[in-house]
Amino acid sequence: MAMAALRREGRRFATPLISPNPTNALRSSLIPSQEPVSSGVRCISTQVVRNRMKSVKNIQKITKAMKMVAASKLRAIQTKTENSRGLWQPFTALLGDTPSVDVKKNVIVTISSDKGLCGGINSTSVKISRAIHKLNSGPEKENKYVVLGEKAKAQLLRDSKKDIELIMTELQKNPLNYTQVSVIADDILKNVEFDALRIVYNKFQSVVAFLPTMSTVLSPEVVEREAEAGGKLGELDSYEVEGAETKAEVLQNLAEFQFSCVMFNAVLENACSEQGARMSAMDSSSRNAGDMLDRLTLTYNRTRQASITTELIEIISGASALEG
Amino acid sequence: MLRHGSRFLSRATTMRWRRPFSTNLAADAPVDSNFLESWRKAIPNVEPPKTPSAFMATRPETPSSIPSKLTVNFVLPYSSELSGKEVDMVIIPATTGQMGVLPGHVATIAELKPGVLSVHEGNDVSKYFVSGGFAFVHANSFADIIAIEAVPLDRVDPNLVQKGLTEFTQKLSTASTDVEKAEAQIGVDVHSALNAALTG
Amino acid sequence: MASNAAAPFWRAAGMTYITYSNLCANLVRNCLKEPYKTEALNREKVHYSISKWVDGKPQKPTIRSDTPED
Repeated sequence: MAMAALRREGRRFATPLISPNPTNALRSSLIPSQEPVSSGVRCISTQVVRNRMKSVKNIQKITKAMKMVAASKLRAIQTKTENSRGLWQPFTALLGDTPSVDVKKNVIVTISSDKGLCGGINSTSVKISRAIHKLNSGPEKENKYVVLGEKAKAQLLRDSKKDIELIMTELQKNPLNYTQVSVIADDILKNVEFDALRIVYNKFQSVVAFLPTMSTVLSPEVVEREAEAGGKLGELDSYEVEGAETKAEVLQNLAEFQFSCVMFNAVLENACSEQGARMSAMDSSSRNAGDMLDRLTLTYNRTRQASITTELIEIISGASALEG
Repeated sequence: MLRHGSRFLSRATTMRWRRPFSTNLAADAPVDSNFLESWRKAIPNVEPPKTPSAFMATRPETPSSIPSKLTVNFVLPYSSELSGKEVDMVIIPATTGQMGVLPGHVATIAELKPGVLSVHEGNDVSKYFVSGGFAFVHANSFADIIAIEAVPLDRVDPNLVQKGLTEFTQKLSTASTDVEKAEAQIGVDVHSALNAALTG
Repeated sequence: MASNAAAPFWRAAGMTYITYSNLCANLVRNCLKEPYKTEALNREKVHYSISKWVDGKPQKPTIRSDTPED
């Protein structure tokens, strides 16, 4: 499914300059150029094929360059991502992971990219967000979206307009850092009421594998509630709390800090996945362009040889007509 | 027992292949299986997303006797300074004062204030100035310290610290709104802590 | 040594823990010696554009830029 999408992406990219199914189209629907063709013979002029070859070659160069750029960006951001992986682990070790917690107000934070041409990752994120929305819908339950990135914005606008709370874009103008993400997290905390935050992103597993992942951050009140109910968080009570005056204070600070850290990791992982997906999309696109170029070259040569043969035939038949 | 230990192994079925970054996989059984089941019921066509516990190594159970060393994870947003290092003691700057953590310390959640964190291993002591964060001590002698900024003391410039201190003390006296007062107070606190760290 | 009322004073002024901790981190970074200081300050650039939506209608987007703290 992903490969088909990539191939479609590759072909779609090439389409503005080349019509689909070039080899067939060349035979049937093309307008012959001004090169003189002997009447009665239906063939395509070499000029058109040559133009087409030039544009496909350009596309191949462009996509190859984009792949290199994505590869270098990936290298830079991959180290940052790996370093940030330790950041959310203590929180999960302490508070556990409760994706199936039952809350009234769910806020789904969808992380996506601003730029396109990165394969299917943004669609996957949006699909999962919609599924979570559906999973958590019910009487008295409220689901809102916070969208980071243009691509998810475009997709979610289509059918979930009234559930969108905040949209943030242009995140990657400066290299990603903790301060930026924490300011974003701060904005979300200030503007949106929530019982549970679900962060949807693509975790970077390797250059060709991206796993859609959902992290859950609970608000302090829900943490209290779950702690009393027992289960994973029941142990929380056994922890003594140092600092500040009340446990609730510290829990609130903790929840905010947890959100900020988890967001940071999520944004970095998504950015890594974006670059990786772009690399593979551009790679398959340049490979497609290469294939197309081969086919066009064959057509070109056939056309050229056909026209030479035609000329020869004319000459020879003209000569033999004169003789005999 | 609610520690990750025993339940993980029974959930091996949810993980279909070994991934390079995670070691002992499988999520916490009761919670995750609820999620997976309700997902599959409601949305049968789409694969459920992974959750963070799938990517984390498990932590050992609380041992019955006090272990000899404390395992410390000291992480910053841009790097993991110490991960899984076994040490004798750490002294963390909690808001209630310097707190020493030894193996077998009671489970604690501590909010950190700007101050000096020192890690003692045998005769080596490494000191960092942390700007703030949290520290969790678990019952199994694991300590997680998460800070936003931590620098070794020799990277701090004393002149800038003095300058900052005077500047913020001045701002504190001239501050008018609540926010300005709070900011100035924070500035004074941080710089005095830096000062104390450098001189003390 | 902050007193026990340290946590509330900034919260009473309307700051969240995130703002408080970023402020502290910024102050610490500003007190570093030279090569570390520029490298640390590179870790602080902020730029993004945010737009709040009410009832399915977007409001004017605002850009937050180049201010490490809110």
